[in-house]
Amino acid sequence: MTASSFRVLKIGLFLVCLLPLVKLSMETFGVSGMSLGANPVEELIHRFGIWGLNFLLITLAVTPLRELTGKSGLLRFRRMLGLFAFFYVLMHFLVYVGLDQRFDFSHILEDIVERPYITIGFTALLLLVPLAVTSTNAMMKRLGRRWRKLHRLVYLIGILGVWHFYWQVKLDTLEALVYAIILASLLGYRIWRKYERTSHS
Amino acid sequence: MVVPWVGIPLGDLLKRFEPGSDAKFVRFKTLLDPKQMPGQRRAVLRWPYVEGLTIAEAMHPLTLMVVGVYGKELPNQNGAPLRLIVPWKYGFKGIKSIVEIEFTNRQPRTSWEDSAPREYGFYANVNPEVDHPRWSQARERRIGAGLFAEKQETLMFNGYADEVAELYTGLDLRKNY
Repeated sequence: MTASSFRVLKIGLFLVCLLPLVKLSMETFGVSGMSLGANPVEELIHRFGIWGLNFLLITLAVTPLRELTGKSGLLRFRRMLGLFAFFYVLMHFLVYVGLDQRFDFSHILEDIVERPYITIGFTALLLLVPLAVTSTNAMMKRLGRRWRKLHRLVYLIGILGVWHFYWQVKLDTLEALVYAIILASLLGYRIWRKYERTSHS
Repeated sequence: MVVPWVGIPLGDLLKRFEPGSDAKFVRFKTLLDPKQMPGQRRAVLRWPYVEGLTIAEAMHPLTLMVVGVYGKELPNQNGAPLRLIVPWKYGFKGIKSIVEIEFTNRQPRTSWEDSAPREYGFYANVNPEVDHPRWSQARERRIGAGLFAEKQETLMFNGYADEVAELYTGLDLRKNY
């Protein structure tokens, strides 16, 4: 890939990753009859959360895709995808804090402490923060080998995120189970690869 | 939101069938027709949907057998042609598209009790003091109030305590959620 085509692709991907935000904004402000439905706050929280999970899984799919297709250039898009995961998860949390709870921190604290599905969701968000902060080239250089170790946290974050989704479903768990299966495949692939590498060496 | 349902007190309907003294409960059943109701094609709950009330609840004048809303016939998605509205209970008690009503002497086993008995009980009275096992039920945001509406404190029996609290004297509402 030449530097300029990489640049164009990167900008294109950036714009594509913004599409969920654009659509949600249009629904929020009722552009051309679009709407969030009868319970807009709940809908916003849910949709931002879903996109956070989507981007987490897409980020986790980069390594398997790269190895299976042999297109090593894919790795160069991973940081942006991971940062979009953090962005949508953060929006999910901010809409909950601002619109749903109206910055009522005593109620928010009570939720985080007493509602297990919120406890694990909040934990996942907290764990994402150091990954986002250390995503710059300078931080990668500074941390060296420890950077890779730190960023393995994303596996745990994925598990917590899907678990958080599963646990707040009233009854129909199908969608959450689909996410769990995709996550299990992505993590399972890595375990399998590791096993293969060690057994061949 | 306050919904202008159109209907008659369920008790007026039930009295025509002269329930005897062993009619302690009323059991309702929804139409089972996966062709018309595609949601029933997946066994999320055990279909057909079943709900129930005590006879005292069923005879209470606030319990409505609904045929319309906003001055018009009930749309299919709202439970045409006949649905229940029990304004002091959580929404899932308001069974839709009723095809069977039965007097019984035993407490009916409802669909939600069947699937998640720890989370959804037979009574399901609106009660801010009793949490759902996974979340609080102490505050609510009125449907239709928009994106910036503040949550409000949920009222005991959804604000109908003066009218219905006497139905539950002596009953432990923490256990009978």
